Amino acid sequence: MKDLVRQKLSIHVDIMDLLNKQIEKEAHSSSAYLAMASWCDHNALSYSADFFYEQSLEEREHMMKIFRYINDNGGTAFSPEVNNINHDFKSLEEIFETALDQEISITKSIHNLVGKCRKLNDYTTEHFLQWFIQEQMEEEQTMRRALELFDLMGTDGLGLKLLDERIPQIREKRPE
Amino acid sequence: MKVLHQSQFFTSYQCDKKRCFFIAFPHKTIQLGFCQLLAFRQQVNKIDLETHFNGKNHHGMEMLMLCNRQHFFIFNTLESIDLKEFITGTFTMLELNSLLTTSA
Repeated sequence: MKDLVRQKLSIHVDIMDLLNKQIEKEAHSSSAYLAMASWCDHNALSYSADFFYEQSLEEREHMMKIFRYINDNGGTAFSPEVNNINHDFKSLEEIFETALDQEISITKSIHNLVGKCRKLNDYTTEHFLQWFIQEQMEEEQTMRRALELFDLMGTDGLGLKLLDERIPQIREKRPE
Repeated sequence: MKVLHQSQFFTSYQCDKKRCFFIAFPHKTIQLGFCQLLAFRQQVNKIDLETHFNGKNHHGMEMLMLCNRQHFFIFNTLESIDLKEFITGTFTMLELNSLLTTSA
């Protein structure tokens, strides 16, 4: 009997399912950053707001990268439903802590996917995911750098304003 | 055409010549491409059987549309349970075939 699945699909079906779950996570992450951006905007933290708007876009790009990868390899990518987005935050510090937790959760999920790829000998997807591993390392580091600023500058009125102005600089300069 | 998997109500086949799959339902048989089979699997996986027993799904029916809305199916609870087992079994057989083809 012919292997019709392999003729149509370059990736393992189980991996396709996990990639679709990853799409949901990236979409949720993108929406969560949008909620954070909105909170910052309403609290006169415009630099942080811009930072989170950009983060939201980045997460969506990650999602699209996976979405296209599934379809380009013969699979079916499913458009994700997003719900349970938190819009209530106590402080900017809490927002960055939540953001770091979110990035760690995404990193774990990517690592889990790579582990599954190795188990199922899906070398194509493992190779594809290498970019995400590097990206997640940078994302986590960016959030850590923001939290270090809170330790350094405090969160009283002026400190918070100065901290907000430093936020655009926390992104690691990436080589072109 | 070769049988992939048979459950109580449903049977799946693979046709090498047409490079497609067939599913025999109790009242009709339909032809599916691989993408359509994947879409069918997704719909079946999304069926929440718990709602059939906790009162959330009062009528105990599941409605699925397949192959770009060419076919419309209504399944009762028993058929829905069987459908989940059937889809898992079909994809397990496809994977087994992949393994055998690769190692041959």
